[in-house]
Amino acid sequence: MTEATGTPFVLNTDKGLETSLRGFLRQLLESGNIGALILPLKVPSGDSFAWIMLNDAGMIDDAVPFPATMPVQGAKALRSLTRKERGELTVMALMRPCEIRAGIELSKLGQVNTENLILATYDCAGAVPLQSYVSDPAAAEKNFKEFFITGEPDQNAKPICASCTDFSMVDSDIHFGYFGVREKGMLVIPGTVRGTDLLKKMDLQTASGSELLPVWKAEVEKLTEKRSSVRKIVFKKTEKDISGFTGMLNVFENCIGCHNCQSVCPVCYCRLCYFGSEASRTNPEAMVNEAVKRGGISLPPDRIMFHTGRLAHMSLSCVSCGQCTDACPVSIPVADVFSFVAEQTQHTFEYKAGRNDGKPLPLRDFKKSELPGVHKLVKDAEPGGTSHE
Amino acid sequence: MNKEFTPRITSFLCKWCSYTGADLAGTSRLQYSTSIIPLQVMCSSRVDPVFLLKAYLSGSDGVLMGGCHPGDCHYETGNYHTRRRFALVKEVFDSLGLESARLKLSWISASEGPKFARVANEYTEEIRKLGENPTRKSIFL
Repeated sequence: MTEATGTPFVLNTDKGLETSLRGFLRQLLESGNIGALILPLKVPSGDSFAWIMLNDAGMIDDAVPFPATMPVQGAKALRSLTRKERGELTVMALMRPCEIRAGIELSKLGQVNTENLILATYDCAGAVPLQSYVSDPAAAEKNFKEFFITGEPDQNAKPICASCTDFSMVDSDIHFGYFGVREKGMLVIPGTVRGTDLLKKMDLQTASGSELLPVWKAEVEKLTEKRSSVRKIVFKKTEKDISGFTGMLNVFENCIGCHNCQSVCPVCYCRLCYFGSEASRTNPEAMVNEAVKRGGISLPPDRIMFHTGRLAHMSLSCVSCGQCTDACPVSIPVADVFSFVAEQTQHTFEYKAGRNDGKPLPLRDFKKSELPGVHKLVKDAEPGGTSHE
Repeated sequence: MNKEFTPRITSFLCKWCSYTGADLAGTSRLQYSTSIIPLQVMCSSRVDPVFLLKAYLSGSDGVLMGGCHPGDCHYETGNYHTRRRFALVKEVFDSLGLESARLKLSWISASEGPKFARVANEYTEEIRKLGENPTRKSIFL
């Protein structure tokens, strides 16, 4: 959990969390300190949500600040807004912590300019899988309400949510905290200097949050602990399932090669990916030879290579949002595998994706005398540490 | 098995150091393992993780990466990046429970012909003990 930089204050929640948050956002927009807001709105048919950048405060009534599902990963919305220059207007985005984390990761990758973006997050109870939402929105809303209240994602939530430990305050500018205190109010917590400045400018006459803050913190810690234990169990299972070349084949054997997992991935940012490019195509003659040599090969080729390749390319930036599992038409637990591998690779490079901690992307950086985790993996080449220094 | 198993080791060698080192081993008439299949790259940092995966999944029993010693890169810092990238692929292999011993990194300078021959022979022996790459006979790739 990231610490607050300024003084938190409390919003009255007598009329419910959503109403109180809408009221605050309206004030924010009307104060002129924010040029536009990025919020989810229900699509006209009512069976999904879309990100809308709105300037008309009247539209805020239609916004759903806590959407039950996650159709487009918010970082993708942020990415489409990337401006080369610093614009005049500040835009604020209210998103789930995993979406904001992906946005921060994309800013490190040079794909999002956060200079005049205010990133806001809220305590996330989890999301319903997109497929269940689209097939029965009413039932999904009902299911969502259940875990939205407890803060503990159940079997109706996306599987990854139950094992997510970064569900509350992340490195966002402003965080809205309500776990454990929702009856008494919603905490508005500034997380950065920018967030603090913005809230100061608004000059709101509201109650101080110093009383509720410890209650909220304790609740978040309690939930984090619960989710960590789930995470351990999920990781153990994944490790067992995926283990070895045959494990890998078993997990991914149903893959139909649609590359959905890649196209919904918020951090898989290359406009032209190697997979799917001309360069990745195998020469037909070589494939025939391969079939002769092996006795047979599956076509189109390179399914396993696609997944392992993506693991190698993207696991260091994986924020475990679970969009890949959500988008998989054949129910492969892609996110479990990614999340598990990401934990190991990020640990090796002493890196955590989605943090604004000033650490550069591991592959853009190096140390002449490498990190212990990295050194351990290359010590064959450098038995006595790095030579020639 | 009657026929002795001859491993195939795809070797990515940088033009300035390791490939030249291999050349020196040859011109010095040093005998080294015929399992080594050398591929020249301009810099070891040209080797994307996908190259290693492609070699592994295409049935190479071992994949050898050769670069200049840290600090001696022709492009100054290329091999530092290689080192990180190699560690990353190795970690991915370890996490997935794949045999990461099939990947090897070695720093071999242009003057280290004998070292190249030694690394080639030792690594071939290591791979021979490990046996054939399981991906070689797999159909559902």
